[in-house]
Amino acid sequence: MADRFESGKAMLDIQHYSKTYGEGKKAADDVCLTIESGDIYGFIGHNGAGKTTTIRAVVGVLDFTEGDIYIDGHSVKDEPMECKKVTAYIPDNPDLYENLTGLQYLNFVADVFDISAAEREERIKKYADMFEITDSLGDMISSYSHGMKQKVAIISALIHEPKLVVLDEPFVGLDPKASFTLKEIMHEMCRNGSAIFFSTHVLDVAEKLCNKVAIIRKGKIIATGTMEEITEGHSLEEAFLSDTFAEADHE
Amino acid sequence: MNKNILLLRTLLLSTSQRNIYRYCKDKKKRGKIVGGFLAAGLLYAMLMAYCVLMCVGYGLSGMIDAAPVMCALVISMLAFFFTFFKTNGYLFNFKEYDMLMSLPFESSTVAGCKFMYMYVKSLPWYLSISLAMLIGYGAYAHPAAIVYPVWIILSLFLPVIPMLIAAFLGFLIARISAGFRKTNIIQTVLTMIFVIFCFSLRFIIESIFRNEQVEATLERTSEITSNAAGIYLPAKWFADAVTKNSVVAMLLLMGVSALLFASVFRVVGNSYRSINSALKSHAASKKYKLSGQKKRSAVRAVAFKEYKRLIGSTAYTVNGAMGEILAILFGLITLILGFDRIVQVVTNDAPFDHAMLQPAIPFFIYFFIGMAATTAMSPSLEGRNYWIVQSLPIEKKTLYQGKMLFNMYLTVPAMVFTTLCMCISAGVPAVDTVLYLLLGLALCAFSTAWGCVCGVKHIRLDWENEIEAIKQGSAVALYMLPNMFVVMGLVVLVVILGLRMDHRLLALAFILLATLLAALSYLRVMSLAKKTHVDIKQNQRKRRGKRRAA
Repeated sequence: MADRFESGKAMLDIQHYSKTYGEGKKAADDVCLTIESGDIYGFIGHNGAGKTTTIRAVVGVLDFTEGDIYIDGHSVKDEPMECKKVTAYIPDNPDLYENLTGLQYLNFVADVFDISAAEREERIKKYADMFEITDSLGDMISSYSHGMKQKVAIISALIHEPKLVVLDEPFVGLDPKASFTLKEIMHEMCRNGSAIFFSTHVLDVAEKLCNKVAIIRKGKIIATGTMEEITEGHSLEEAFLSDTFAEADHE
Repeated sequence: MNKNILLLRTLLLSTSQRNIYRYCKDKKKRGKIVGGFLAAGLLYAMLMAYCVLMCVGYGLSGMIDAAPVMCALVISMLAFFFTFFKTNGYLFNFKEYDMLMSLPFESSTVAGCKFMYMYVKSLPWYLSISLAMLIGYGAYAHPAAIVYPVWIILSLFLPVIPMLIAAFLGFLIARISAGFRKTNIIQTVLTMIFVIFCFSLRFIIESIFRNEQVEATLERTSEITSNAAGIYLPAKWFADAVTKNSVVAMLLLMGVSALLFASVFRVVGNSYRSINSALKSHAASKKYKLSGQKKRSAVRAVAFKEYKRLIGSTAYTVNGAMGEILAILFGLITLILGFDRIVQVVTNDAPFDHAMLQPAIPFFIYFFIGMAATTAMSPSLEGRNYWIVQSLPIEKKTLYQGKMLFNMYLTVPAMVFTTLCMCISAGVPAVDTVLYLLLGLALCAFSTAWGCVCGVKHIRLDWENEIEAIKQGSAVALYMLPNMFVVMGLVVLVVILGLRMDHRLLALAFILLATLLAALSYLRVMSLAKKTHVDIKQNQRKRRGKRRAA
């Protein structure tokens, strides 16, 4: 596995990031993570642990005051545009423009990233064929199933060949074939030097797919490292539910 | 392509009925789009006819010179209010915020394009007013040929400044609310306070401008208009550009509009992300203890769900419950100042016996309470969550009964309270008070059931922004417009008939009529409930058949 994921430069560097909501409740508390190019980095935790809050801050959607987040060396706070140009975000429940066709939406995103006509055609065709959605691209998004919307969101995220892909529960709603295709794409992107950061509840998938993992509980990172360091010979599920992490939770 | 144009184009395309018509395969939906276009065309024609007639009135009374100022003021006021009510849903707290903000757009670009979207979408209404008044002005004032293009060009700029002011006020309210834990409630309360202030501002301005020497109503209107233009400079610039061919005034209107747009969105852009972060974040409590659960009937459970939906959205609360709040305030003010004083203020001291207005009390109150019915909006507001109620083991009629019950919960207390306030203040006898209360209740029932007919018949679930269901849906337009006009007519009719026949008999007749209309509307809702239930089942069967075939 090590030869497949060459360590590279820090693609995403989260430094002491905290996010406080009303009455001082910390949704994220002093989060520090570094994701290098070539990493497939899993982000796991219970519901409400702070995964989505962290992810939304990384992609520049959520405002924060404490700490800083760097993407490809640029600060999300100070240079948001530089960060967004190299990042792609796929939320768990993508809100796409329902009254556009799939193709109209993909063209919109391609226009935003200034992708040439030839390149966008090639990439849309490639990914739409892989996800078996080419025939439906002329239909309104409102007529799509959840999985089809998810596929369009994934294609729109890949269209500009991002250096960092941030995904929130990407496998929810995808059929087995599409899940497999997405995993293959993730591997391919990492081989080409991109980094993937994604949250998931499916620990089996995380264990097989990721080379690094971070566990978050009550807004705090309680464990981070390579898969081998975290699991210590056990399965990720066993490690996640083990007393070690439960104690960290109490502390 | 410039990113502003790209985003604006996509925003417009994503709500374009033409695009839906082009790609939608559902014939029924396509038919509805065509019907919507025809209905909108009819409304434009009615609005234009009204504006032309207004100019004819000015022309016949030799006051056509006031038409440009009046045109500017009408457009500005409409633009201000329409934008203010929409700002919360369009500029802030919109559904696709995460998707847009994760793309390489500046915050100010997103905010600016959202504003431009509102502008482009409402421009046809303002232009129809402006063009109609230009026709009337042209017919009576016979202006030089250059006035026509100048008028049309400046009409494009007229709504910009009031819209920017409204958007900026919405931004300030959102910014203040963002500092509180209960952002939504604070935002709703601040918006309500501001709207009530605007409503009372009309009387303040009128009392400032009131000139006892000016007797004729039309002349007084002219006086008020020119005074208002003296305060609201863009109206003066428009009038000067048109009537005096002033290039300076023309440039001022265009330049100030552009400058204000750039300045407002520079300021809004700076805190756009922090405001939306606060508005889209909901503080979670970890200390909640489960206790005191109540069992409700299915109808009451739906009504409770409707209540939570209403208070969960600033735009819905402001539009859905504003009438009730205004009615209660109106009742309180009447109780404090006295019925006679209120009539004096509203009628500008017109010399007549105020008692003749008493039979119209329920209709006055209904003017406020009936201006919106949650039942007209709530079926569409289910939106993509419609599956929740669809999958529940309740019949459609139970769902609609719950929605109607909630509207009754909302309207009846306001109607009873305001009727009592007004009757006590006006010294209405007890028997008449009871009759007015009954009439008020019958009107509430009619408003609720008629709203539900419109809401169910013109249900639209595929909206992008809830404002589309709250303010722009055909269900709401169909409910509101005839309702408002009929109420205004009824007030006049009741006053006239009250002079010629026994007013108690008159009240009884209206109670019977309103009850009959409410009952017919309710039965229509029940028949629609059966129909939609069957439609859904048929659609499900069709879908299953298609899947099997595939």
